Amino acid sequence: MAKYDAIVIGAGNGGLTASTALAQKGLNVLLLERHNIPGGCATSFCRGRFEFEIALHQLSGLGTTEMPGPLRMDLDSLGVMQDLEFVEISDLYSVQNPDGFHITLKPNKEQILDELKNAFPHEKEAIDGFFDLVYQYANDMIGAFIFRDPEASREKYPNLYRYAFKPAQSVIDDFFTDPLLKAVLSVYWGYLGVSTDQMAFAYLAMILFQYIVFKPFHVKGGSQALSNTILNKFLSHGGTVRFNCSAERILTEGGTVQGVVTGQGDVVRSDYIVSNASPMVTYGQLIGEEQIPEKTITEVKSRQLSTSAFTMFVGFDCNPEDIGIHESTNFLMVNTDMTINNHDRMRRLDIDDELMVLSCYDVSDPEFSPEGACQTNIVTLKYGEPWLRLPPQQYLDVKYRCAEKMLQRVQAIYPDIRAHIEEIEVGTPLTHMRYLGHPLGAIYGFEQQTKNSLFFQPGRFTPIKGLYFAGCWTGDGGFEPTLRSGMAAARSITKQIDNKNV
Amino acid sequence: MKKGIWEDFDGYDSINEEIKASHITASKRAFELDFADQYIKRLHPDRLALKIADIIQETPTTKTFRLVSEDNELPPFQAGQYLSLLIEVQGIRTSRPYSISSQPNQIGYYDITVKQVKNGLVSTFLLNHVNIGDSLTVSGPQGNFYFNPLVHDENMICIAGGSGITPFMSMIREIVDRGLPRTLTLFYGNRYADDIIFHEQLTHISDHFERFRYIPVIEKASQDYQGQCGLITADLIKEVAGASEKATFFLCGPQGMYDFCLPQIEHLGIPRKKIRKELYGPPLDICKDPGWPKEIERDRLFSVSVKNGQTISAPAASPLLVSLEKGGVVPPSICRSGECSMCRVKILSGKVFQPADTPVRKSDSQYGYVHSCVSYPLEDLEILL
Ligand SMILES: Cc1cc2nc3c(=O)[nH]c(=O)nc-3n(C[C@H](O)[C@H](O)[C@H](O)COP(=O)(O)OP(=O)(O)OC[C@H]3O[C@@H](n4cnc5c(N)ncnc54)[C@H](O)[C@@H]3O)c2cc1C
Ligand code: FES
Repeated sequence: MAKYDAIVIGAGNGGLTASTALAQKGLNVLLLERHNIPGGCATSFCRGRFEFEIALHQLSGLGTTEMPGPLRMDLDSLGVMQDLEFVEISDLYSVQNPDGFHITLKPNKEQILDELKNAFPHEKEAIDGFFDLVYQYANDMIGAFIFRDPEASREKYPNLYRYAFKPAQSVIDDFFTDPLLKAVLSVYWGYLGVSTDQMAFAYLAMILFQYIVFKPFHVKGGSQALSNTILNKFLSHGGTVRFNCSAERILTEGGTVQGVVTGQGDVVRSDYIVSNASPMVTYGQLIGEEQIPEKTITEVKSRQLSTSAFTMFVGFDCNPEDIGIHESTNFLMVNTDMTINNHDRMRRLDIDDELMVLSCYDVSDPEFSPEGACQTNIVTLKYGEPWLRLPPQQYLDVKYRCAEKMLQRVQAIYPDIRAHIEEIEVGTPLTHMRYLGHPLGAIYGFEQQTKNSLFFQPGRFTPIKGLYFAGCWTGDGGFEPTLRSGMAAARSITKQIDNKNV
Repeated sequence: MKKGIWEDFDGYDSINEEIKASHITASKRAFELDFADQYIKRLHPDRLALKIADIIQETPTTKTFRLVSEDNELPPFQAGQYLSLLIEVQGIRTSRPYSISSQPNQIGYYDITVKQVKNGLVSTFLLNHVNIGDSLTVSGPQGNFYFNPLVHDENMICIAGGSGITPFMSMIREIVDRGLPRTLTLFYGNRYADDIIFHEQLTHISDHFERFRYIPVIEKASQDYQGQCGLITADLIKEVAGASEKATFFLCGPQGMYDFCLPQIEHLGIPRKKIRKELYGPPLDICKDPGWPKEIERDRLFSVSVKNGQTISAPAASPLLVSLEKGGVVPPSICRSGECSMCRVKILSGKVFQPADTPVRKSDSQYGYVHSCVSYPLEDLEILL
């Protein structure tokens, strides 16, 4: 019977880094992936002459060689940096509305302040005050958590203690009165999936700070290049990957991991398993609820699932500027309300005035699409649940109806786009359920509310000995957190093994 | 355990209370995963076990197989999509794509219409050895060749060759059944008049339905043939369809038809984005590809060893996928035309030939992955599945 030092279930971001970090340590690792390519969300697909990016909009936490971010350090330690080429995205984001409002923020604090004060002169002081707080908060956070200050205290890090759990919206309301300015500063909630009154200020502050300091990046060849590069490193360390092969069961005995039964019907033994699948699937389907302590099951069931997404991939037969696209990351806004009121719309099928993000990689990387062509990835967040109530016969009609509305919304900002469309593909929450296997197509794992943050949840740890989680379900969604989560899972396992060996 | 500093953050206690409360109200039901899984399977099953309810002889060399589900529910599809038939013939486990020729507004059954291919493994088997009541396994509906209401013009100009009529049959039937506001002009090329599939039905529909025009074009027509003869040229398209600025072109047929018709359409000034082209399997003769290295004879045999698996022998001019299947190694496949990437394998050593326009992901190419259904060995190979 086959036996491995560790088995990793799923080759998403978390599974890829976990398996590679373990293989790098000399472990004999088996990586199982249900689909025929590595990456999970971090993949691409080809249509006509285009290769469409599925998920990556702005890679966070990378930083530059002079100012390396945490992700760069992790990728460096995996030994994959030299095989990857990153493209710095020249803007933080633009926000546009159909009334002609258009602001572009650069990933540079001074420029952001100038730009905002220019557009909102009546809020000058508040703008300074807000960004001072964001930076002070981030510095507190870094001191206390990144450098793990053993003497952290309220006196030393007052902003951390005061603001971490405060709702972002209430901080924004304390500073500003102009609803448009408030909205412009809040758009990154879209990368987290929770409205600003449900989201901790910690998240908004850190996401702004990170993108400004470490800059937003894109990968040459798209996120598939990242996945393929990590997998290649895994193989070069002697790792074994099986594509088109799911894990059907995780075998346990007396609360300890024994191995995996694969979709091909064979049993593979191992003392360590990293699951890149959700706790629901891992506990409910792979292990069996009855084998898991009730406390853990209750804890998982008490947490809400994050939103899914409605996505449109469009290939154009022209350059971005020909259709008026000048920035990589564009938030298209109609309604300035970023609170739960607006959030509720995400529970409906139809697209109305939700916030959307339109990313055009070709602006920063003209080689991304073929010459004379470009592509955009347009997303709005939608929960998966209403889609499951659709009779299958209506699915296509609803999908086209929503896509048509989305196109109209985009046309309100970029009037010429429709005439230049060469390829178009639509992904719904059901598409995410199908390809990621995430319950309800939840793209960010659990709802990213404060109560689901790492401060309050078990993260990668499980009550089953030898079993760890990696990926968005361990804490935060998004590329940087999930890539890093796999590194963390691998560290936990090597630590266990080292302890055993002494 | 040591207390975390965050336990002293403002608001910690109330969040903790919130969490405790949510544990009390947490669902007592099992994780409701099965419902979603079942739902996805209704839309996009990996496999469908279908039964042949009827077989219709369309021409001397073509039959339609009417496939029904035992539990009476088939997934929805878009007219123009295909099924991948999974089958074992002469001990070879393989797959073949067949477009659905029935219309999507009814899904009591799927029709596939199969034309005999000379020396063809699966088509010969289907036409000669399959009977009503037999079971067939197929994939869910696949493919990207369909009318997209977001961008396509309601004026459709369709060009079919041989068995390439099948996706159009589905589209035409849907337009008629549902009274869709589309105009469809069909140029249907065949070598001989006897080869035309669905001729009576197409004639009948065009007689009764104003927005459908049917122009059969016979390449090798007998002297007394009344209709259009020769090939489908720019002049013919212009003559029948008039100015075609406001039209989307749909093409489905053998490689030879694309080679001839695409330049004709381009000659009409039709931009690339207005031309949709269906797949049609691997090139008929890879040695005729302009990039093929002349020094490699078509029958030359190479050895292909699968890492941690067996070693097989593979002729240069056969798709690697076909050779693997013959050797009992069966990578998954769907389109068998280079497009879907299902048959992707990594070349660890040795060289293969892959036509220049094969849509392989950039980083896949970088790391040596190829689509084995359109890759041909030029050296001995070691591959990773
Ligand atoms: C999207 C799509 C839709 C399609 N829809 C339809 C449809 O609706 N109806 C339809 O009839 N067909 C359709 N086809 C084509 C169909 O899938 C099959 O390719 C066809 O039936 C031939 O299969 P076969 O097994 O009979 O032939 P194969 O065994 O695949 O052989 C094909 C040809 O290759 C030659 N050949 C076989 N082995 C070798 C070898 N070792 N070396 C060199 N040459 C060899 C054979 O002599 C023959 O000429 C479709 C194809 C695609 C891609
Ligand atoms: S089977 Fe689709 S690319 Fe080979």
